[in-house]
Amino acid sequence: MNWWLQIQEAYANIISSKLRSFLAVLGILVGTGSVVAMVSGGQLATAHALKQFSELGTDLLAVSVMSNSSDSTPELSTQDVMALQKKIPAIVNEAPYSTVYTDVSYQGEKIQANIIGSVPELQEVVQITLSMGRFISRYDNYEPYCVIGKEIAESLRKQGIKNPLNKQLRVGSRYYTIIGVANDWKENAFFNNDINKSLIIPINTAKFISAHASISNIVMKLVEYANIDLVQQQIEKEFQRISSDKQLFFRSAKQLIDSMTSQRNTLTLLLALIGSIALIVGGIGVMNIMLVSVVERRREIGIRKAVGASSKDIRELFLVEAIALSVLGGLLGVLVGLFTSYIIATFAGWQFEIFLLPPMVGFFVSVAVGIFFGFYPAYKASLLDPIQTLRAD
Amino acid sequence: MSLIIDLKSVSKSYTIGKTTLQVLQQVDFSVAKGDLVSIVGSSGSGKSTLMNIIGLLDRHNSGEYYLNGTAVDQYDEAQLATLRNQTMGFVFQQFFLLPRLTAINNVALPLLYRGIRGKQANKMCEAILERVGMKDYLNHKPSELSGGQQQRVAIARALVGNPSVVLADEPTGALDSKIGQEVMDLFVQLNRDEAATIVIITHDQHIAKQCNRTVRIKDGLINKYDYGNIN
Repeated sequence: MNWWLQIQEAYANIISSKLRSFLAVLGILVGTGSVVAMVSGGQLATAHALKQFSELGTDLLAVSVMSNSSDSTPELSTQDVMALQKKIPAIVNEAPYSTVYTDVSYQGEKIQANIIGSVPELQEVVQITLSMGRFISRYDNYEPYCVIGKEIAESLRKQGIKNPLNKQLRVGSRYYTIIGVANDWKENAFFNNDINKSLIIPINTAKFISAHASISNIVMKLVEYANIDLVQQQIEKEFQRISSDKQLFFRSAKQLIDSMTSQRNTLTLLLALIGSIALIVGGIGVMNIMLVSVVERRREIGIRKAVGASSKDIRELFLVEAIALSVLGGLLGVLVGLFTSYIIATFAGWQFEIFLLPPMVGFFVSVAVGIFFGFYPAYKASLLDPIQTLRAD
Repeated sequence: MSLIIDLKSVSKSYTIGKTTLQVLQQVDFSVAKGDLVSIVGSSGSGKSTLMNIIGLLDRHNSGEYYLNGTAVDQYDEAQLATLRNQTMGFVFQQFFLLPRLTAINNVALPLLYRGIRGKQANKMCEAILERVGMKDYLNHKPSELSGGQQQRVAIARALVGNPSVVLADEPTGALDSKIGQEVMDLFVQLNRDEAATIVIITHDQHIAKQCNRTVRIKDGLINKYDYGNIN
C-alpha cells in the first residue's frame, strides 16, 4: 500500500478518536514546545550578549604589559610599540597608554579624574569624538596639553566654566591647558579607563607627573577576521626582542565571545536535555495510546489481514499513525515553543528573532520519537494472528 | 473442470503444553471452479481450521496444498498475504465490517491492498454493491445497517476483487432464518449466474442442502456426501 494512502488512513483514525489523539498530541506538543522554547531562549540570550559585545568592536585586542623585575631592564618606549604596527600586518592601528595618579584641580577645586598618557592614535582606536577643540597630536610631544572627558567638562561647568578650552587644570604640580572636550564615550571592554572621567595627556608628559609612569597597556585595532592567536604569537615574539622580561596578557573579543559562547552552549544543551525529558514522556504517551489502539483494533487488524494486508502493511498502518500524531504534536509544539520564546524575549528585553535550528531539531526529534515509540506497538500489531482476532465471540 | 483448491493428505495439529491436539488428519479436499460446496461439522470438528488453511490464514503441518494448480506450502507470510488478497474472499458470521468506514469504503478495502483506488475502485464497488442489492446504502456506516444488510456488504467485499473462491464461515449464523435464507439465496444466485466458486461452512443442514455438494467433517476426518445439484 502506498504511503499517501497510509497517511489518509492514519488521518481518518486520528479523527475518529479525537480525545485520545488529542492527549497523545498534547504530550508531544509539550515536549517539542519545551525543547524549542528552551533552545530558542538560550540562543536569543546568546545573540543578545554577543550583540552587546560586537558593538564594542570585535576587532580590538587589549595587551597588558607587566614587568617581571623592576629597574634593571630598559623602559618600553613608545617608538618600540608603534613599530609593532609595521612589523605585524594584522595590526591596523595601536595606542599604548599609561595611567598615572595624582590630584587634579581647577582653581583650587578638586576634580575626580583619571590621567591617561597616550598617543593621537587612541582617538581612532577607542573611538573618541570631540565636542570642542582638538585631540592631542604628535606635535604636542612634551606640551602640557590635555583633552577632558564629558564628566570633567560637566564638573567644570558647575564651576561656571562654559567654555573649558584654554583653561588650565592643575595636575600634580604642573598646569595643563585644555585643548579639547570629548563627547559622551561608550564603555569598552578593551580599554581599562572610562574616558568620560579622564584627562588625556601626551604620553611623553606622563613622566613629568610620575617618575614611575610607563607603558602598561596597549590597545590595538586589528584587520577584520584576523587570526587572533597568530597575532598574539607575533606580538610575543616581537616583545622578546624589545624587552624580554615583559609578561604580556591579552584580552580579545574573540576570547570573550568564545568563552561566553561555550558557556551558553553548555546552558543550551542543558535546557535541551530538560526539554528532551518532556519529549520522551510525550513519546511514552504516544506508545501507550498506540498500544491501547492496537488492542482495541485487534479485529480490524484481522479483517485487514484476511483481505490481503501483509504484516508489513499492518506495521506501516500503525507506524504512520504514531508518526502522524508526533508530526502533528511536533508542528504545534514548534509554534508553541516559538511563541513562548517570543514571550521570554519580550519580557527579558531581547531582540526576538527566529533561529532555524531549534524548530528544525524540535520537529525532527519529535518525528524520531514518533518512530521510536510507535515502532513497538506497530510491531505488536503486525504479529497478531488473524485467526485469533477473527474468532467469533 | 479445473480444481481451484486441492488439499492432499493435509494434517494439522496444535501443541498446547505437553498435549498435542490433532485437528486435521490427512484430509483430502478439493473444490472445482464453479462449485458451491458446504462443509458441515459440529463445533470442534476441525471445520474452522480447514477453512483457515484453505483461506491461507493458517498453515498445515504436513500434506500439500495446490491453489489454482500451484503448491503454496512454501510461501512466506507476505506472499500468502498477496495471494489471499487476489484469490480469497471471506464472509464471516459476525460480518466483520470496519465500523469506521462506509459500506463502499469497506468494500474497497481488498482493492486498496491491491493498489486499486479512486474512481476505478469506486466504480467496481458500486457495481458489486448493486449486485448484492445494496445500491442505496453506499455511504452508510455498518451501525446504520441491519444484520442482513451488513452481511450483503460483507459479501460484496468478498466478491469485489473477483476472487478464485469465496469462503463463508457460518454466514447465516448471526441472522434470523428469514434473513439468513435471503443471504443463502444470494450465494446460490451468485454461483448460478456468475459461476462464483463458494465454500460455506455451516452446522445448519438446511443451508447445506442448498449447496451442490456437502462435505462432512468429524474429528478431523472428512466424509463426503454428494447432494447433487439442487438446481
